[in-house]
Amino acid sequence: MEFSELIKTATVENVLLWRPGLAAPVRGTLCITSHHLLLSSCPRGDLELWLLIRNVDAVEKRVSGSSGTITLRCKDLKVLQLEIPGMEQCLNIASSIEALSSVDSVMMMYPFFYRPPSLRLEQGWHQFPLGRFFQRLCSQTSQWRLSTVNRDFSACPSYPEAVIVPAAVSDDTVIKAARFRQGGRFPVLSYFHPRNGTALLRSSQPLTGHNRRRCREDEKILGTILDEGERGFIIDTRSAQAAKQARMSGGGTEPKSSYPQWRRIHRALERGRPLQESFIRLVEACSDPSLSMDRWLARLDSSRWLSHIKAALSTACLAAQCLDREDSKVLVHGAEGTDTTLLVTALAQLILDPSCRSLQGFQGLLEREWIQAGHPFQLRCAHSASSHVRGKQEAPIFLLFLDCVWQLSRQFPFSLEFGEELLLTLFDNAYASAYGTFLCNNEKERRLCKVKESTHSLWVWLNQPEEKHKYLNPLYSHNPLVIWPSVEPQSIQLWQGLFLRWIRPSQHLDEAWQEIQRLVEGNNNWSKESTGKRLSQTLPDTTAGTENGK
Amino acid sequence: MASSSTPKYISNSLENSSSKRTLKDGTNWEQNEEIPRLPGETRVTDKDVIYMCPFNGPVKGRVYITNYRLYLRSVENDPVVILNVPLGVISRIEKMGGASSRGENSYGLDITCKDMRNLRFALKQEGHSRRDIFEVLTKYAFPQSHNMLFFAFVNEEKFPENGWMVYNPMSEYRRQGLPNERWRVTFINEHYGLCDTYPSLLVVPYNATDEDLKKVAAFRSRNRIPVLSWIHPETQAVIMRCSQPLVGMSGKRNKDDERYLDVIREANGQISKLTIYDARPNVNAVANKATGGGYEGEDAYPNAELFFLDIHNIHVMRESLKKLKDIVYPNVEESHWLSSLESTHWLEHIKLVLTGAIQVADKVSSGRSSVLVHCSDGWDRTAQLTSLAMLMLDSYYRTIEGFEVLVQKEWIGFGHKFASRIGHGDKNHADADRSPIFLQFIDCVWQMSKQFPTAFEFNEQFLITILDHLYSCRFGTFLYNSELLREKEKVTEKTLSLWSLINSEKSKYTNPFYSKELNRALYPVASMRHLELWVNYYIRWNPRIRQQQPNPVEQRYMELLALRDDYIRRLEELQITNNSKISNSSASSTSPSQMVSQVQTHF
Repeated sequence: MEFSELIKTATVENVLLWRPGLAAPVRGTLCITSHHLLLSSCPRGDLELWLLIRNVDAVEKRVSGSSGTITLRCKDLKVLQLEIPGMEQCLNIASSIEALSSVDSVMMMYPFFYRPPSLRLEQGWHQFPLGRFFQRLCSQTSQWRLSTVNRDFSACPSYPEAVIVPAAVSDDTVIKAARFRQGGRFPVLSYFHPRNGTALLRSSQPLTGHNRRRCREDEKILGTILDEGERGFIIDTRSAQAAKQARMSGGGTEPKSSYPQWRRIHRALERGRPLQESFIRLVEACSDPSLSMDRWLARLDSSRWLSHIKAALSTACLAAQCLDREDSKVLVHGAEGTDTTLLVTALAQLILDPSCRSLQGFQGLLEREWIQAGHPFQLRCAHSASSHVRGKQEAPIFLLFLDCVWQLSRQFPFSLEFGEELLLTLFDNAYASAYGTFLCNNEKERRLCKVKESTHSLWVWLNQPEEKHKYLNPLYSHNPLVIWPSVEPQSIQLWQGLFLRWIRPSQHLDEAWQEIQRLVEGNNNWSKESTGKRLSQTLPDTTAGTENGK
Repeated sequence: MASSSTPKYISNSLENSSSKRTLKDGTNWEQNEEIPRLPGETRVTDKDVIYMCPFNGPVKGRVYITNYRLYLRSVENDPVVILNVPLGVISRIEKMGGASSRGENSYGLDITCKDMRNLRFALKQEGHSRRDIFEVLTKYAFPQSHNMLFFAFVNEEKFPENGWMVYNPMSEYRRQGLPNERWRVTFINEHYGLCDTYPSLLVVPYNATDEDLKKVAAFRSRNRIPVLSWIHPETQAVIMRCSQPLVGMSGKRNKDDERYLDVIREANGQISKLTIYDARPNVNAVANKATGGGYEGEDAYPNAELFFLDIHNIHVMRESLKKLKDIVYPNVEESHWLSSLESTHWLEHIKLVLTGAIQVADKVSSGRSSVLVHCSDGWDRTAQLTSLAMLMLDSYYRTIEGFEVLVQKEWIGFGHKFASRIGHGDKNHADADRSPIFLQFIDCVWQMSKQFPTAFEFNEQFLITILDHLYSCRFGTFLYNSELLREKEKVTEKTLSLWSLINSEKSKYTNPFYSKELNRALYPVASMRHLELWVNYYIRWNPRIRQQQPNPVEQRYMELLALRDDYIRRLEELQITNNSKISNSSASSTSPSQMVSQVQTHF
């Protein structure tokens, strides 16, 4: 396939661009390239829009007379409108954007073409090897070992090559246990709590099925972790009933009789389509254009988004509490073990472990507990809230996680080294990115697509000194304690910075931001003694597109 | 927790520190004393009770009553549970249960507070054990009903700053550039002869004589004539405040009032119409005609245009807050929290007040037109609107001292009936005059400070402290309904000002992110989407809601303040170097203080 086949019209003059709610529309020349939509203002060319076409979630067109209006609803929740002279031009542009935004071959995506001058390929992809995490672990305990049983992804296609398993369990046992877990996701170590030596594990559901199958090897893995008389907790992220029903389709739970030392707790967390619907309803409520909108709180309430946050946070707190206060080991799983499971284990670590709360540590956590752990980003983030495609696989689990982190940062304003800007950037990049970090669904696919050889890592970009400072929380001071959040409904707030990002008249916040940039520039100027170099000129390729000079 | 039971995560169940309470009121507490005491505070009685804590269950303790506070200290709990409640906060004391009532802890006292909480104490059933404590409490909590003095008159505290000096009407008007050739200061109300609820010093159009004012007074409810509150330094458009005209059923007119409004319009050389904002809903304004009031009709005032702002009256606000209390205390409504919050309409009222104030401010600033604001009597909604509009337009009022001046001027000076609205020391808890109008104003200010984190010199603690002492009766600041009465009671001589406490320890109330911006109008977004419930105030008694910040926030803020000063100093140095290196650099047009503090707020 050639991109040029998809582009029916590449350039249109005299296009009017505006963002609803934004004061002045901009007139200029519109260009469609393989990956970007560009608008350069005429006649002065001082304003430029770069929009990654992958970021377009829905294209709506309306033709009237000799011109047409295209509304682009982006995955980052931004809405753009283009008024295009000429009906045919308009239809061509719309269908080009539609075609380009729905290219589904990973290797045709922008990260495979993006070559920023400041970065070298194959740089920084191994910043967070599990080995280093394991080294730290080794100094604290000898009960765990690094296993390469999954070297060729045969034991579990969605796990990384290296995993941490109990030291007393052989690779053969692991391979057999893997057959007893959905998708081969056998229990692995997610976090070791140094204070009392307890551990957090995760897996997928056991394949007990309706005839109550057992697996000695699986029982052994979970058995060797616990000393005699010690009790562990299994936090199942489904309701007791849903877990029971899963038996009909071959899944199920760990029965008491086969796992006598483990106690099961059910905490139903929403996932899949219902979560996506909740996201859609929330975004609809947020983007309702009438300012004097009635019953806003009732609509916010009925979107149930904040209840999902509350449920996720309290389940994570429960896991953290079992580890830290009950001195018990914890296994978390739902069904596949790639969604709510990761949500809970990642949040629990953020609550317990101060080292996850630094900028580096947080990146490591994301890499370990989301990306390498096989959260299917490509499936879950294929569409955002505005898409007309009602897919089965899309679900904003990762956004829910980011929102929970934001809630933590609001309740503990000094305890996280990173700020809102990082969370927004992660959201944007998970849905549409110039970097390969969030591509594909697991490490195996990333290997097949040569992601690490042919694309750049988002972390490398973020960690450049001139970028990094944007994401830091200036109020940060290291907090060695566990941070127990309040999960009462009154303590959970709407994340305005994300959901109202493009809607709220953020003049004041924008200005604050401009001041920051000016300060940054000032600093650069002072250090390099080169005036006139605008920082923004060096980053035309930020994923969300920049609107310089706005 | 026994491992046999299923663990459950309850916020803060893991931290017993929730019951630890630091004394925020700055009282000195000698460690060998049983309870903290202010100078002038005397012990009256004490008793063993069980405090029925709605969050942690019954707490055995000893309660001490002084002439200022109720103080409870637990005897068995570790850490010690402490309650420290100024008696002024109490609105109602009831006996619960009788000598014969059964059930554990069913006999005792039930105390309703004005600050969103209730307290319950259980006592021993035998021998009328609660009689004396009930009587003592009733007497000291409601001194007005017992011919006793407010604690403020007994308080012997000393502060380095004198808060009564903060507000001087004359210097405030001078700061605004008044009097000038179009506006004059009149002493016609020096002895409160013209209007007994107005301050003695008034600013009126130069072209209106004192005789004119007297004639106008006859046509305005309670003689509250239109007077100047604020003048725009550039457009010279003004904000005027008054009460409703006495139009009545027959549609009376008053030539002097009509001419006076025209004089106001002409005072800034305005050709367009004078804008009148009537804070009430249209129907209420019409209904007021039946009781002799009304609004400025088109026929009588052809040079004015009138808008209704749809803000409801004091009774509606009182009921709304009552509903809010129902859903947040003692237990918070868990399911459908947002829907129940919506059904209280509290945020909706906040929205309407803010929207109204924005319209006033915008008219004066962008519309370059003078405005006249009134409601019925001009001391509730009018005060909310003028003071909020002034806060939006004039950055001086966003400083600590400026805000004190604003409250002193628009609320205390212009006769917001604090005594009636709060019911200081009055046992009549069900009085129809009670209403949380001032609280609502402070809530609006908090909403603004959320939207403009760098624009206010004061922090949240400042606003909460003001509200706490709105009830406490420790200071004279909010006592009585008018300047006339305060003069009669010699409040400034015999009591201390709340501003003395605050200004003596300013750093505690300072926002570390404040960046001084002059002459900039701030318009908050008053859409429901952008308003939040002020959880740190309304639900602050619930330990599960409290922000569980392990590092003491206050201390961190102090550090940040120091840090900020340091940054500013360093930046100024850099700026000087920079300017000498690069001449005519456009990047350095803003002051360093602006840059630094805004850097810190994007988070």
